[in-house]
Amino acid sequence: MPLVRRPGPPPQDLRATAGILEGLASPSEEARWIAARAAAGIADYATPLAAALGREPAPRVRQAMFTSLSRMDSAGVGAVLPLLRSDDAGLRTGALDALRIMVRSSPELLPPLLDDTDVDVSILSCELARALPADAAPALLCDLLRREEDPNVCAAAVDVLAEVGQSEALPVLAACALKFRDTPFLTFAIQVTVERISSPPPLARA
Amino acid sequence: MVFTETKRYYVERRVMERMAASGSGTFASYFARLRTDTQQEIEQFINAFTVNETYFYREDHQLRCLTADLLAERLRTRPREHGLRIWCVPCSTGEEPYSVAMWLLENWPVVDQYEIEILGSDIDTQALQACQRGVFGKRALMRLTPALIARYFEPVDGERWRIHDELRQSVVFSRVNLVDSAETRPHGQFDVIFCRNVLIYFDEASRRVAAENLFENLRPGGFICLGHTESMSRISPLFTVRRFADAIVYQRPPEGATDG
Amino acid sequence: MAERKTVLVVDDASLVRLYYRTTLEAAGFNVEEALNGLEALEKLPGLGADLLIVDINMPQMDGFSFLAATRQMDAPVAGTPALLTSTESREADFEAARVAGANYYLVKPVSQQTLVEVASMLCGVRR
Repeated sequence: MPLVRRPGPPPQDLRATAGILEGLASPSEEARWIAARAAAGIADYATPLAAALGREPAPRVRQAMFTSLSRMDSAGVGAVLPLLRSDDAGLRTGALDALRIMVRSSPELLPPLLDDTDVDVSILSCELARALPADAAPALLCDLLRREEDPNVCAAAVDVLAEVGQSEALPVLAACALKFRDTPFLTFAIQVTVERISSPPPLARA
Repeated sequence: MVFTETKRYYVERRVMERMAASGSGTFASYFARLRTDTQQEIEQFINAFTVNETYFYREDHQLRCLTADLLAERLRTRPREHGLRIWCVPCSTGEEPYSVAMWLLENWPVVDQYEIEILGSDIDTQALQACQRGVFGKRALMRLTPALIARYFEPVDGERWRIHDELRQSVVFSRVNLVDSAETRPHGQFDVIFCRNVLIYFDEASRRVAAENLFENLRPGGFICLGHTESMSRISPLFTVRRFADAIVYQRPPEGATDG
Repeated sequence: MAERKTVLVVDDASLVRLYYRTTLEAAGFNVEEALNGLEALEKLPGLGADLLIVDINMPQMDGFSFLAATRQMDAPVAGTPALLTSTESREADFEAARVAGANYYLVKPVSQQTLVEVASMLCGVRR
């Protein structure tokens, strides 16, 4: 009978035997992976993890580092934020994914991000608003539209409102369309969004 | 999951049921609830659409892939003296790991040349007890031919069958929480993991951790099979997608020059 | 008897894709869409795209990486004209776009007229 029952080979010992900091600096990819995972949710390691991310070549180790950062809530945000501005697309995406997880568990982290002086951060933060509890996103995005001057940030907010916006957003959208009447893309985007919000949903019967 | 126009009523009905159950007055507010997974709405939504039963030879295209492609590739790429290790997690009431065992004995011509370990794990200890008992009803056996049932089961009464002791004793069952590496790591590394229809129920943070744990539980070059509606590409970039004739599976990259 | 040219629009914002689609279809182009570089790479072979319109700032795979990947593919895909769009307007960004293999660079938001003019020029369509 070829099916055997045995204790199996000894499992790998994947606990970090060196300290986490030493592990993060190791030339061994496996050691860095183990150290990165061991740091999960420990706020003290937010800064070293973010620093290590900047020089980490292995995608799977980066992934583990971001996972660990995403479990740090507010301590992780400060460490992850600068990565949104990285030249490396993988780091930007990883930072965005981690932030989305953090914002979902701590929604109060988002408003300052929407206000960031860096336009790209604000734009990406509009994306993150999708992760908020049901009625929180529209209110935040409408607030943003009332005061934001950058057309691309407004466009990002409008794009999210097209999905989550409700009738309360209509006056703000109208004002925005007026403000940007010379920007054809925005007037188009707002028009589409208004149509989507206004049209009766097909399943709202009985 | 793909629904054509003919299934419109089926889909609408279930969405409306969920809307009513969740107190969502409009589709927009229900959709918002779904997007943000308020009160585990995603799980409820999925439950409304998937039938969560398990039975022998479910998703047998993956079993075909196992014997047609996966095992051959595993054996080609590592030394022969190591046995093959296969993990079914979650294993629910045991249909899946016992199916793997039966399938190998029935469909893999070289099965006697190798030592094969099959493990089944679940978070539900009651389900694990059922695994150990190995007793199943008609629905669980519905995909099996009478010949197979006669060969591997003995009737308990008119309605239930017990899987033969030889098979029952060859699968090891254990409790595991996929999100806890302290629980997953002791299981060691596998050549093939079946992890069907559980990752979809986790939130994003837990899914990532579970995927990282499963990565550690794979030998380099090992394969993981998900449920047919799931996509690992959406869950984690750790794995490479491999398209075989019978199934799409995901692979931990083989040992390369990268590891020190 | 000019045939319709096919444009692949690669941008993660659904309203941007819709805007480009509406504008370009009205001007006589076929429009295909992808929401990031990865999806675009899957769609490219066999698409017969005459022009790529690619946003730089996308998740999963940004515009630069995507363009660089297409330039590594077989002809004719590798030689497809590419218009890069971005919210940035610094000299360094123009240069980076050129190095990545873009044929043109536009700063968002883009007017419909500019979009049609540049797309026509890059596809060799007379207006």
